[in-house]
Amino acid sequence: MTQTRRAFLGTASAAGLASALPLKLSAQDALQMALVTPSPTADVGWSHTLVEGASAAAEAVGGELSVLENIAEGPDADRIMQRAAANGAGFVILGSFGYMNGGLQLAQRYPQVSVLHASGYQVAPNFSPFAAKYYQGTYLMGMAAAALSKSGKIGSVSAFAIPELITSVNAFALGAQAINPEIEVSVVWVNSWFDPASEREAAQALISQGCDVMFSNAQDTPSVIALAEEAGVYACNLNSSMQSYAPNYYLGVVGTDWAPFFTAQARAHLEGTFEGANYYLGIADEVVYVDDWNGDIPSEVMGRIDDRLAAIGAGEFNPFTGPLVDQAGETRIPEGTTMTDQEIQGMDWHVAGVTTPLPS
Amino acid sequence: MQFDLIRRDRASISMALLAPLLALLATGLVSWAIFAAIGTPAGLALWTMAASPFTNWYDFSEVLLKMAPLLLIAQGLAIGFRARVFNIGAEGQLILGAIFASALPVWFPGATSPLLWPAMMVAGMAGGAFWAGIAAFWRTRLNANEILVTLMLSLIAVQVLNWLLLGPWKDPAGFNFPQTAMFQAQALLPGLLPGTRVNIALLFASVASVAAYILMQRGVAGYRLVVTGTAPRAAGYAGFSAARGVWLSLLISGAAAGLAGAAEVAGPLGQLQRSVSQGYGFAAIIVAYLGGLHPLGIVVSSLVMSALYIGGDNAAVFADLPQAAVRVVQGLLLTFYLIAATLVRYRIVRARVAPA
Amino acid sequence: MAGGDAHPLLRLEGVSKSYGPVHANRSVDLAVMPRSIHAILGENGAGKSTLMKMIYGVETPDRGRIHWDGAPVAPASPAEARALGIGMVFQHFSLFDTLTVLENVALVVPGKPRALAARIRDLGRDYGLEVNPDARVHALSVGERQRVEILRCLMLDPKLLILDEPTAVLPPQMVARLFDTLRALRDRGVSILFISHKLDEIRALCDTATILRDGVVTGRADPRVTDTRTLATMMIGREMPSPLPAGTAKPGEVRLALSALDWTGPDPFAPPLEGIELAVRAGEIVGIAGISGNGQADLAALVSGEQVLPQARSGAVALDGAAIGHLGAEARRKRGLAFVPEERLGRGAIPEMALWQNAVLTAHDRGLVRRGMIDRDAATRFTETCIADFDVRTPGPHAEAGALSGGNLQKFVMGREIMLAPRVLLVQQPTWGVDVAAAAAIRRRLVEMRNAGCAILVISEEIEELFEICDRLHVLRAGRLSPSLATPSTSAEEIGEWMIGAAEDRHAHAV
Repeated sequence: MTQTRRAFLGTASAAGLASALPLKLSAQDALQMALVTPSPTADVGWSHTLVEGASAAAEAVGGELSVLENIAEGPDADRIMQRAAANGAGFVILGSFGYMNGGLQLAQRYPQVSVLHASGYQVAPNFSPFAAKYYQGTYLMGMAAAALSKSGKIGSVSAFAIPELITSVNAFALGAQAINPEIEVSVVWVNSWFDPASEREAAQALISQGCDVMFSNAQDTPSVIALAEEAGVYACNLNSSMQSYAPNYYLGVVGTDWAPFFTAQARAHLEGTFEGANYYLGIADEVVYVDDWNGDIPSEVMGRIDDRLAAIGAGEFNPFTGPLVDQAGETRIPEGTTMTDQEIQGMDWHVAGVTTPLPS
Repeated sequence: MQFDLIRRDRASISMALLAPLLALLATGLVSWAIFAAIGTPAGLALWTMAASPFTNWYDFSEVLLKMAPLLLIAQGLAIGFRARVFNIGAEGQLILGAIFASALPVWFPGATSPLLWPAMMVAGMAGGAFWAGIAAFWRTRLNANEILVTLMLSLIAVQVLNWLLLGPWKDPAGFNFPQTAMFQAQALLPGLLPGTRVNIALLFASVASVAAYILMQRGVAGYRLVVTGTAPRAAGYAGFSAARGVWLSLLISGAAAGLAGAAEVAGPLGQLQRSVSQGYGFAAIIVAYLGGLHPLGIVVSSLVMSALYIGGDNAAVFADLPQAAVRVVQGLLLTFYLIAATLVRYRIVRARVAPA
Repeated sequence: MAGGDAHPLLRLEGVSKSYGPVHANRSVDLAVMPRSIHAILGENGAGKSTLMKMIYGVETPDRGRIHWDGAPVAPASPAEARALGIGMVFQHFSLFDTLTVLENVALVVPGKPRALAARIRDLGRDYGLEVNPDARVHALSVGERQRVEILRCLMLDPKLLILDEPTAVLPPQMVARLFDTLRALRDRGVSILFISHKLDEIRALCDTATILRDGVVTGRADPRVTDTRTLATMMIGREMPSPLPAGTAKPGEVRLALSALDWTGPDPFAPPLEGIELAVRAGEIVGIAGISGNGQADLAALVSGEQVLPQARSGAVALDGAAIGHLGAEARRKRGLAFVPEERLGRGAIPEMALWQNAVLTAHDRGLVRRGMIDRDAATRFTETCIADFDVRTPGPHAEAGALSGGNLQKFVMGREIMLAPRVLLVQQPTWGVDVAAAAAIRRRLVEMRNAGCAILVISEEIEELFEICDRLHVLRAGRLSPSLATPSTSAEEIGEWMIGAAEDRHAHAV
């Protein structure tokens, strides 16, 4: 029920789309859940955490989960999610921003289906975007990185220049500046979630430019981490721990645990209380966590990190609190002002200290 | 025991018809063994792949949706292949077609003319033909191998697409995601079958198939192309220009791929995005050869191929079949077909050793 | 019969071979004695080549036995046959085009490249088979390729040498020298199987002849004491074809004129054409003699339009007084020029296409195409007429060109071009590899065309043929054209001297 992909079948309820194939039969009343992911559900990474979260939720509500992995965004993905819904999936999790248009059509066509959509911004009554407040964790990771960097240069291999990942880099830089105000962060956008070769090349380039800590920002492969271990530089990443790929130089993970959120939403769906809303979830929601800290981090810094972690969890500290200066030296957020969730989710500028200009 | 291949005096028509069926049968058997070996319910997976696309209207409409670009591109490619001009870069030409077509709604988001989508189709054909024309230019000028040039141009096309989507054409309201804004209604192709995603791109492909049939099976222009391809010295003897054949082949196949790209952005996508091609440019090569490079054969092979895609998707949903397995099935199908196709011109005889 | 050995070197008993319904050989018995030059005589398609292929291990007999030196053998490959001591020179060459002569030789003959190259030169000189060991085969003429084939066999010191129509492309002097060579080989203990349909050659060279017709042995004879007529009757099963139609040339206006034509082709091994002056008048046949590789290919291409001249030099080729040098093959054909090329398969016709499709190749504007569409009925009718009028032996217009025998395909191509009713007809090697009856028919056609007023230019390596049909002759050697020699007042010896350059030297000294 968990890791194995289970076929659904069911009573197709949408007119005209009834399945003609009497396939595997399962309990008629069990909730059929479908998870569509853009990359292979490997042992680590974004898709992996979604599978873990969805599996836990399926178990908790007695549902049956089908994982449809490595589905290219576009017409094929649209068809596959329609297919899943037509065959009885009542609760659909879409694991990529690129599924947004198809997902919205799905939600319109099947009002009784509840859809969760990663990283998006559109909301419908049965369609909720969800995203993690990675920035809360990357701020802490940035502190540790600055403490271990000798060159004062940190590199980040990042997937797409979308607000979610821009903020994770920004917070990472702000955290690093809290330890070392002179620290510089360089970013390479590889424009892919899953491209081991490009990621490795990008990391190689950053290391050769003098970066001695790597931040693998939303990459679904461990290639940056593995390369860092070879090169003897520290590295951290998002979503799930890749410590096994860098036993000596693994800095830590900003992890995500979707089980509580998915479980709550699945329950809401079953109880008929599912409501479309934008879910932006962080440490306080137990979605974002930090773990697997490297023993090389000085205990003094580790203490400050723990303090910050507690303050963020208690809602007493937000990294995006003024004064915040952008790359051009202009003050964007004045002293004493904190960015709202909405502003953070639309952040399209880098803070000073990130040396690479944003692709325009 | 030893077997010999003996060339037939003329191509066997019954074998030409039988070859695809033999290939399907062999593919089914080997796939069954592979699926069984990886632990998926083989019978169910194969049955789903083979039957589900045809047993309900929704799946069949999706087959038709997917068939349109495959058919369009494969008809264009087959013309070139018969002239021995190997355009392997339909993928790039499709992308350029999509880009050219998208330029209109991106630059004129307020345009509401009913001529907008027809103009996009024309622009798409121009884009694809332009991209293929580059290969024709270098082939005729410097004898640069068109296989390599078209293939490399595909890689460049992807980069051009990335640059546009990450830069000047990015949707300002799209939170930096690499895609354009959704197009206005007038930029979208009219639907063909109500209640489905099938649009008039299927008509384009049908018209292209008829045109390809007339050109290649009846027309003297197609005859000239085939002669330049199969017997270059005979073409020189007859006075048929090889350069003209190269240009014609590449421009036709490029325009067809470009039109397919335009129809994708103006059809199921409704915007320009990175995944504009679902690998149609390369799949169409298989389609063209499975169809024996014959316009009618390609109609059948594109239907079979898209049904295989849809069936494969369904098998992933119903029978736990990994996506990669669908590719394996397609690869097997092509391999077996090429083996079976040998029997069209050759027959197997048991070699008899003379009694000593 | 040379040699006193009682046992034959090679003996075939009841050998049969079928390709589907076609019986290539039926119960063939053959005995080749040591130190013998044994002729296999037969028309094209009589089964000579298949028989030789079975001896050489290329094909396996369906039935029958082969004995070598008294012991039964079943050579399964040419390598096995070569190991026994059998060498073969094919009619259709087995050389790799992209390799050099030396590399082609080294594929079969062991030895260091330098030593092999030296042997190629030595043997070439000895037997009049000179060829540049470093030349690439694709750049060689048909004649040169055959020299390579012969050389390659000789280098393996065979006990039996099979030669399939070896003299077709050699000048008379070289034929005489080849015969000397073959006799010398025989005297050194090598037996020779000599396949031919040229009765005079067989009578001059061979001591035994086995005659094949339709795959069956129809006779055995000692050609030295059997007259040509008897041999021919055994070979073709009927009387010799009728002689050429009467009539002499009545030359009219100049139809085709080459003036001050210079050309350097891309082929580094072909000599450039220099100062070619040639006129072909209505109602005459002009022949170009000479060994392939002396500029024949370029000359033919420049006349046919397969090679186009720059606009500024277009006057070097004129048709009916108009400059056509800049026009392509299709435009020249529209103006009344037709061409039968040396390679009928792949150039004159497309092997994978049916005959009616091959008719469209050059006859498309003779009503076979209407509004851009091929008119299949018209093309089929055209082809049927061609098949009937030119005696093409084929199941019909839907047979693929590649399935026709060489002679029949040549008749088809010739017929197609004649049906275009050309004002000027260029023919290259009109009867190369064509059987006696077909060759006679083709020659008769050419003479009839001339009598009807067509201007005909024939490029051929077969001197007898040129003498038979031409009114005037030129010899092309090293890119230069000899003066016009009227056929009645010249001789094969004089032509031969021009071919090997002796006449030119004398000419130069005299001036």
